[in-house]
Amino acid sequence: MKTLIFFFSLVFSLIVQGEGLLLKGGNVHTADSEGVQKNTDIYIKDGKIIKVGKDLQVDASRVEDLNGKIVTPGFIAPYSQLGIVEIEAVAETRDDRSTVYSSGLSIVSAFNPHSTLIPYNLRGGITTALSVPSSSGLYSGLASSFSLSSSLEGSLISRDIALFGSVSSGEGSRAAKMLLLEDSLDVASRVIEANGWNDEKGLPSSSSYSSRDIIALKRVLSREIPLVVRADRASDILFLINFSIEKNIRLILRGGSEAWMVAKQLAKTNTPVILEPINNLPGSFNQLGARLDNAAILNKAGVKILIASHETHNSYLSRQAAGIAVSYGLPWDVALRAITSNVAEVFGLKKIGMIKEGYKADLIIWEKDPLEVSAFAQQIYISGRLMSSESRSTRLRDRYLNLD
Amino acid sequence: MWKYLVIFLAFLISSCSHEDPFNTDPANSYQSTYNPSDSGDFVIIGARVLTGTGEDYPSADVWISNNKIKSVGTELNYPADMRLIDATGKWLTPGIIDIHSHMGVYSSPSLRSNSDGNEATDPVTPHVWAEHSVWTQDTQMPLALKGGITTFHVLPGSANLFGGRGVTLKNVWSRTMQGMKFPNAPYTLKMACGENPKRVYGNSNREPSTRMGNVAGYRKAWIQAEKYKEQRGVTRDLKLETLAGVLDGEILIQNHCYRGEEMAVMLDIAEEFNYKVTTFHHAVEAYKVADLLAKNNVCAAMWADWWGFKHEAFDMVWENVAIVDQANNATGCAIVHSDSPIGIQRLNQEAEKARSAGVRAGFDIPRSRAIQWITKNPAKALGILDEVGTLEPGKMADVVIWDQDPFSVYAKTEKVFIDGLIHYDHKDPSTPKPTDFELGLLKPGSDRL
Repeated sequence: MKTLIFFFSLVFSLIVQGEGLLLKGGNVHTADSEGVQKNTDIYIKDGKIIKVGKDLQVDASRVEDLNGKIVTPGFIAPYSQLGIVEIEAVAETRDDRSTVYSSGLSIVSAFNPHSTLIPYNLRGGITTALSVPSSSGLYSGLASSFSLSSSLEGSLISRDIALFGSVSSGEGSRAAKMLLLEDSLDVASRVIEANGWNDEKGLPSSSSYSSRDIIALKRVLSREIPLVVRADRASDILFLINFSIEKNIRLILRGGSEAWMVAKQLAKTNTPVILEPINNLPGSFNQLGARLDNAAILNKAGVKILIASHETHNSYLSRQAAGIAVSYGLPWDVALRAITSNVAEVFGLKKIGMIKEGYKADLIIWEKDPLEVSAFAQQIYISGRLMSSESRSTRLRDRYLNLD
Repeated sequence: MWKYLVIFLAFLISSCSHEDPFNTDPANSYQSTYNPSDSGDFVIIGARVLTGTGEDYPSADVWISNNKIKSVGTELNYPADMRLIDATGKWLTPGIIDIHSHMGVYSSPSLRSNSDGNEATDPVTPHVWAEHSVWTQDTQMPLALKGGITTFHVLPGSANLFGGRGVTLKNVWSRTMQGMKFPNAPYTLKMACGENPKRVYGNSNREPSTRMGNVAGYRKAWIQAEKYKEQRGVTRDLKLETLAGVLDGEILIQNHCYRGEEMAVMLDIAEEFNYKVTTFHHAVEAYKVADLLAKNNVCAAMWADWWGFKHEAFDMVWENVAIVDQANNATGCAIVHSDSPIGIQRLNQEAEKARSAGVRAGFDIPRSRAIQWITKNPAKALGILDEVGTLEPGKMADVVIWDQDPFSVYAKTEKVFIDGLIHYDHKDPSTPKPTDFELGLLKPGSDRL
C-alpha cells in the first residue's frame, strides 16, 4: 500500500511540476561544426538532450541557471585501460594483458565499474572511455566503450568495437610484424566457417591464433570494425596506409610521432590519428621526428585527430594535452572535437559526444576554459543525471584537511 | 723515506684541522669548468615580474650586469644608452629548477646502452656518482630549456637504499659534464624507501625484501659510516666517504619516499645518526605528515597528479603540494618536481595544477608563492639558494620571459637566459642549440627539427 501511495505521489509530482532538467543560459560548446552557442539553453529528459536553443519555453521539473558558464559534452578517452587496470605494478589488479588470446581478447567481462580510477577521471571530465587491452605483440585485443557512471549494470556502451595492435615496439624486425599482419589477415580471409577454425597453416608456428582471434580479424576484413595500429615512424605509417588500401580495411593510426611527415597521405585516405600531443620526445628510434605541433600540422592537412592522455590513471589529462596542442597551433574548437565528437564518430559511438538534440545527455559545466590545467568541472552529468564529484582521492583529502 | 714523512705530516695536519691527507675532497678533482662569457649590461623592461621572493610586480625592470642580477624594481637608474629588451605585456620569472631529473642518465632515445641511472647490483652504492653517467647530448635537455629549465638536479635511480651521489647541472650545451656542472653546488646522496629496493633485491632473494629490511640496511650503513669517520685518513672507502660526507653535513640527503609512515621512520633514522634529510622526493603521501615535515624543516618534492603506477602511489591527492606548503602556518617547504622528461618541459603547468587545487581547498596561494615551488624552494633544497632561485641582486641571471601568464596551459617561453646569456629565443630557430645526436638525424642537410 505504501509503495502504491509513493508511486502515485511520484506520478502526481511529475505531472504538476513538469519533467526533465533545463540548463539555462550557458556558453554551449556543441562540439559539432557550429562551435560555441552563447547564452543557450539545454533541455534534458530521460537521459537525452531534447532541445538546444535560446530561451527555451519548456516545463522542466528542475531549472539550473548557468550564467554564461561553459558547457561541453563529456569527454571521451580514445585510448585507456580504465576499468581493467587498478595499479600498474600490481599484476593481480591488471586485466589488460593476455598470452592466451591475441586479436580476440575482449575485455568486457573484466571491466570493473567500481575501479577507483573511474570516479577520479570522471571528476576530471571523462564521461566515456574506450578500454583497450594492451598485450604485447602485434595484436593487443579488442576495445570496448564504457560510461564512467560506476554503474554495475549500465556501464557498457558498446562491445568489441575496434581491434588494437602495434608495430612500434619490441626488438624483432618490424618487417616480421608487417608480414604477420598480412599473413594473419590472409589466413582469416580464407576461413569460411569461423567455427571450423583449427588450422594455422600459413602462419608461423610461434604464433597462435584461436578461432576467437580469427573471428576478430574477419571483422576487420569485412570493415565491421577498424584496425587501430600504433606506429610512429613515417615509413611504418606509410606502409600501413598502403596496406589498408590494398586490404580494404579501416585503419586508424595511434601514436604517430612522425605522422606530420605523411600528413597528405593520411588526409587523402581519411585515416584518423589518435595522438598524445604531450609526447614530444624522441623516446625511441621510431620517434625521432616527434614534435609538439604534430596535431596542428595534421589538422591543417585535413586529418581527423583524436587526443589521448599518455597515462590511464590520468586519462582526463587529454584536456591538458589538447591545451598544449592549441598552444602549438591547433584551433581550440578542433581540440575540443578531438576529445569529444571525433572520438565518437571514428569509433561509431552513436548519439554521444555532441550537445545536440537526441544525443546522450553527458555534459560538463566548467568554471573556466576546460583545456586549462586549472579548470575544474563544476557539474558533471551522465545521461542527464548529476554525478557525485567525490572520489577516493577527495575522501583522503578531506580526512587529512580536517585532521585535528 | 720522503713518502713516510709526508704521511706523517699529513697525519699531523689531519689531527689538527681535519684536513683529508689523501686529497679525497672531490672538489679538487672533479671541478666544474662552467664559465660563461660576459653577458654585458642590459635591462629587461616592462614585464610582470614574479621574483621568487614572494613579490609580484605588475610591471618592473630587471637589470642584468656581468652575468648577475643587478637590480629589480620599478624605478631603476640605468644609463640612457643601456641595451633594453622590451618585455611589456610578458611575464618574467627566475629560471625554473627541477630538483628531480634523470636527464643525461636516462636519456632520449631510451636505449639499454644509455640506461645509466641505477647501479642495481647492490642495495648500498653510495660510491657511484650520477655525474659519471651523464650523456651531455641527451635530447631532453634542449626541450627542457624551452620549458624554462635553467638548472636541474640529476639523481641516480631508486633501486638501491643508497643510490649514489646526485649532481646539479646548468642547462647549457657542453661537450663535457664538467662544463655543465653547477659551480660549488653541494653534492647530494640519493636514498630510497619503500617498494623499489625491496622489489629489486627481494626478487632475487636478497636483503632487503621488506620495508623493515630496508631500514636495517640504512642503519647498518650509517653505523659503518660513523666508524669510518673515526678512522678517516687511514684508509679510503669510496662508499663510506659519501656517507661520512652526509654525517659531516656537507652532502645533502635527497630521499625517494612515498608513504607517510616511511617518511616518519626516515626522520627517526636521521635522528639516530644525527644527519639531516633535506628533501623527500615523490612524497605522494606528504600531506599525511605535512606538519611533521614542516616542524623538521624538511622539504617535499612532489608531482601535481601522478599516481597509481604502484601501490605506494595509490593515495595521491591533488592538494598534496598545497597542504605541504601551508603546513604549520604556511612554513612548509613544497617543491614541484618532474622525474620525467615530459613533465620537466612544463613544471609551470604542474605548479598551476597544484596551486589551483589548493585554492579550491580554501588556501590562499597566489602565483607569487606558487612560483617558489619551482624556483626558490628547489634551490634551497639543493643548497644553491645563494646563487639562484630568486631574482635578487648578486645572483646568477637565470631568467625566463614568458609570452603570457606562465600558470596557463597556453604559456610558452620566449627567452631563456642562463647567467645573463640567451640560450633560447623563440624568434631564433638556431636556439636551443641541438644536441650532437640531433644533427642531420632526419635529413642529412638539417637537424632534428
